[in-house]
Amino acid sequence: MKNLLKCKMLSLLFIMGLSTLTMADEIKADSVNGAQVWSDTCMRCHNLREPADLSKRAWKYSMQHMRVRAGLTGKETQDVLAFILKSKTKEDSQ
Amino acid sequence: MKGIIAGIALGSVVVSTLLAEQHNVSDVKELRQEVDELKGMISELQRQQESTVYTEDSDTDIFIESKIRSELESNAKSGFLLTGYASFDWVDKQGEDNEFSGVKFAPIFHYQYGNLFQFEGELEFKATEDGEVETELEYAAGTLFLNDYMGIQMGKFLSPLGQYVQNVHPAWINKLPSNPIGFGHDGAAPTSNVGIALRGGLPKVIDIRSNYVMFVSNAPTFGIADDGDVVIDASGKTTSSDVSKTFGGRFAINPVPGMEIGASAAIGEVAEEITVGADTSNIVRDYEVYGFDVMYNVNGFDFKGELIQQDIGENSASTLEGGKWRAWYTQVSYQFSSFKVEPVLRYSDYHNPEKERNQWALGLNYLFANNVIAKLAYEYNTDENDDASNANDNRVLAQFAFGF
Repeated sequence: MKNLLKCKMLSLLFIMGLSTLTMADEIKADSVNGAQVWSDTCMRCHNLREPADLSKRAWKYSMQHMRVRAGLTGKETQDVLAFILKSKTKEDSQ
Repeated sequence: MKGIIAGIALGSVVVSTLLAEQHNVSDVKELRQEVDELKGMISELQRQQESTVYTEDSDTDIFIESKIRSELESNAKSGFLLTGYASFDWVDKQGEDNEFSGVKFAPIFHYQYGNLFQFEGELEFKATEDGEVETELEYAAGTLFLNDYMGIQMGKFLSPLGQYVQNVHPAWINKLPSNPIGFGHDGAAPTSNVGIALRGGLPKVIDIRSNYVMFVSNAPTFGIADDGDVVIDASGKTTSSDVSKTFGGRFAINPVPGMEIGASAAIGEVAEEITVGADTSNIVRDYEVYGFDVMYNVNGFDFKGELIQQDIGENSASTLEGGKWRAWYTQVSYQFSSFKVEPVLRYSDYHNPEKERNQWALGLNYLFANNVIAKLAYEYNTDENDDASNANDNRVLAQFAFGF
């Protein structure tokens, strides 16, 4: 009976673990919140980098870097990225 | 007579006919030539047109292909990016000739797999006084994002204790050409760890954001450095020297926009290498770290402050004294909105069982761009013990730094 309970607990933990792993990929971005987080957070440590400073591709990597360094949640990271990409003009849309 | 006239007329007709015929023949030849030329031109034009059409098709194909490739690349889960920073320094130290004192290049490699995994590593290349190149692995750590609020980081990472070392030290971010005293290598602030960390941002509570780091890492070492100073070597190592690992963390809140307040602590042991005759062994001392940091950016003003302290316990088997390695600094700067000049003022203080130093630094930066900066600063240094070292010497520093 105890072994069965352990198996159930382990299965539950395994499913919870899988669900948390899935959550990382299922984030819907909110660029309005992203603008708020961007203005509240970035300049604490460094000068602002304008959306035009980096390519779309570079911003994707830089934001994951900032997720770790600035202690952002996954959603906040995606929100800031959405705001930056939305702010890029046609001239700097690469 | 009539016959003569008729003959002349007939002859003229015949001659003119012959001439006309001859003329017609030459016209036809010319016409044929012209037609042939025209045919040739038409064929050439057709060839050109065909080749033009082919080229357009080719351009279109290349355009579409590059667009698709670009889309695929931007949608690709996996990829990497090279960023980093570099700096070039000049110093004029009291009582010495001025010199170009530093060239540093620190490339940072980022790899990412979707929102699930990220790796980043920074190498630091420095030109030395001997013309050699000093290379150091500043950090190399992968982070597996377990969920929205937690990532597990593995490898060598910058010390999460405090803010300066992990977030402010890069030359294009630091607002002065030098580190606050005690915040460089072998100072009071730990520099890096080899181990595992859990870190991330937390959900808002009463509209306040917060973040955390918890880590376990190999222990630092304690001893006498090459220059004779007693130091805590708190840079990440791949051995724990048979002493307890370091357990620590930092928790920070963002009570208002632009502000972060953080508190750090760590506990563990340090190993001190003792040599008796031919035998070398490690003795164990207690090790504790405490830190407190504040950052606030508002209306062009930027305030930073941090206190960090490492405590080393005593051990009677050693001749070296334990004690407190403590450093703190406070800094204010202002960025004008109308012109790209930024004045900076910093006070820093460093204390350990052998040293008691402080420093005022006043700087002026020119921002060619937010990541391309020229800095000029004056440092006023004081050695409270006045131990005949050159720690009292004041310095003028200049630095050109950029992040990429």
